[in-house]
Amino acid sequence: MEPAVKTRGLTKVFADFWCRPRVRAVSGLDLDIVRGEVFGLLGPNGSGKSTTIKLLLGLLHPSAGSVEVLSRRPDDVATKKLIGYLPEESYLYRYLTARETLDFYGRLFDIGARQRAERTEQLLEMVGLAQAADRPVGEFSKGMARRIGLAQALINDPALLVLDEPTSGLDPIGCRQIKDLIVALAKRGKTILLCSHLLADVEDVCDRIAILYNGRLRAQGRVKDLLRESARVRITLPSEAAGPEEKLEEEMRRRFGPEVEVGHPVIELESFFLDVVQKAREGHEPDSGVGHEAGVPEYLRETAAGPYVPRGGGGEC
Amino acid sequence: MLRFRQFTALAALAAGESLRQPIFLLLSLTCVAWMAALPVVLMHKFGEDGKLVREGALALHFVFGILVTGHAASWSLAREMRGGTAAAVLTKPVGRDMFYLAKYAGIVSVAVAFSVCAALATLLSERVSERFVADPVLGGYVTDWNTARMVFSGIIVSLVVAGVLNYRWRFPFQSSGFGLLAGMLLLTFIVRGQFDIHGRLSPMLWAYDWRIVPASLLITLALAVFAAIALALSTRFPAAPTVAACCGVLLVGLVSDYVFGTAASRSFAAATLHRVLPNWQNFWMADALADGGVIPGWYLLEAATYAGVYSAAVLALGLTFFRRSDVG
Repeated sequence: MEPAVKTRGLTKVFADFWCRPRVRAVSGLDLDIVRGEVFGLLGPNGSGKSTTIKLLLGLLHPSAGSVEVLSRRPDDVATKKLIGYLPEESYLYRYLTARETLDFYGRLFDIGARQRAERTEQLLEMVGLAQAADRPVGEFSKGMARRIGLAQALINDPALLVLDEPTSGLDPIGCRQIKDLIVALAKRGKTILLCSHLLADVEDVCDRIAILYNGRLRAQGRVKDLLRESARVRITLPSEAAGPEEKLEEEMRRRFGPEVEVGHPVIELESFFLDVVQKAREGHEPDSGVGHEAGVPEYLRETAAGPYVPRGGGGEC
Repeated sequence: MLRFRQFTALAALAAGESLRQPIFLLLSLTCVAWMAALPVVLMHKFGEDGKLVREGALALHFVFGILVTGHAASWSLAREMRGGTAAAVLTKPVGRDMFYLAKYAGIVSVAVAFSVCAALATLLSERVSERFVADPVLGGYVTDWNTARMVFSGIIVSLVVAGVLNYRWRFPFQSSGFGLLAGMLLLTFIVRGQFDIHGRLSPMLWAYDWRIVPASLLITLALAVFAAIALALSTRFPAAPTVAACCGVLLVGLVSDYVFGTAASRSFAAATLHRVLPNWQNFWMADALADGGVIPGWYLLEAATYAGVYSAAVLALGLTFFRRSDVG
């Protein structure tokens, strides 16, 4: 399949004012991101993730190597029409309101005034900022700014969505919403490049990942393949069928050796938190912060195969 | 069509962001209030009031215009390049050339908006200034206090209304304050244009010193050149060094005729510097208005050509830097 992103020997060396080499941020990176996949770029702080993304977006000029995004040069204006980008920090014009911000970014694309207004309202609903639509974004908290940053990245219904630390500064509900959105967009065949150092986020949604360290590619492959422990097996039984834990453990150890562990499965904290909030909302508790988010907007849900159906239980996220 | 829409959106954003900066309203208000106060503080100069007020007001227009434009140009691009908003915009289908030129257009439109205010204030201020009138009934030294009162009231009303708009409907105080200030100055200009300096109704009299208009226009051209220089510098330097470099360019450009012009015939280096550095004296024609002098149309055209060519050259240089620079 034709790659959405292809880099060969991509290198970026930052220079000082006198053009002397200062930092080698990315070194000889070969990367292939297939169209329609959710690709995770992992690495600790300073590993070159954000620099790689900026090179892919044409914001930085490579010191060596080549970059192709959607089969074109990254700084080609035609390429940018198909890209949505959520930066690591929410870079917003602080004197514009949330609505003005979305309208401004919409104007930069070939979107008619009516459609722009519709999308603006839908996105404000989606990110839960409809009530704060006329407030200057300079007054927003970090989480709210992040939400408006996400909304601007989706205004053009992009074919390639680049998310740099998308869940940074968001509450667990916002994190879950981002993951739902990624899944929804992936179902529509969109390519998503997700850059994060939060491993749980990446593990939940990515098809393939690459791990960078010190500007170099250290590992790359399918998440399931990379995380599978071939040497161990897990069995899940209903409590009634298993009987008392101690007895079952004793039986299993006698048969398979001392490494056997028996216990109750634990749900993820995120699922537990979401469950608590959901119950509070059902009790109509007043909410002084971000309003209730609407679902993914209609124009981001439409697929050739039919409408998008949100995922079920919180434990799957 | 899309490119035009993108360009106008970016230019409007650059202008809007500058207009909403508190310092813009502060500088504009100070400039207008100072101009309005000139006839008061320069009272009784034996017929020289008009000249002193005119030259003082034009000087304020130039100095405050440089501050407004320099701040808008240097902070706008430098801050956006280092703060990340430029990166966010450049990931949209916007070329660097368009981004850069739209920024310039936005900053120049701010300079024009400021200049309109300053020119109106200069015209009104000159009208207020004391002058000798040879009239058998109302003759002697006359000051148009009605116009002065209306100008000062306009400043206060614009601030109060902007405050109310902000409190009641959350209108941005800075930009609505500036818009109201401009509106009040225009209203005063139109209303007082229907009266003579004694306060008698004389419809369509327009008793203003219209020679001020071309002088203000020249200063606006200087601001456009200055904006191009500040913008070009901000592609390479952060905001503070850009402002410092702009100050240097301003000072050297002001003394260009004296330092390099006089030595141009003897020294190739002086001649080159005289041609390459911006010559702000080309845009300062307040002296020409003394003793009833006027600025001829051909001079305006020549100055506009000089400003256009110089700005284009500086913008091209800045664009070259901006294309090669890393953003974000």
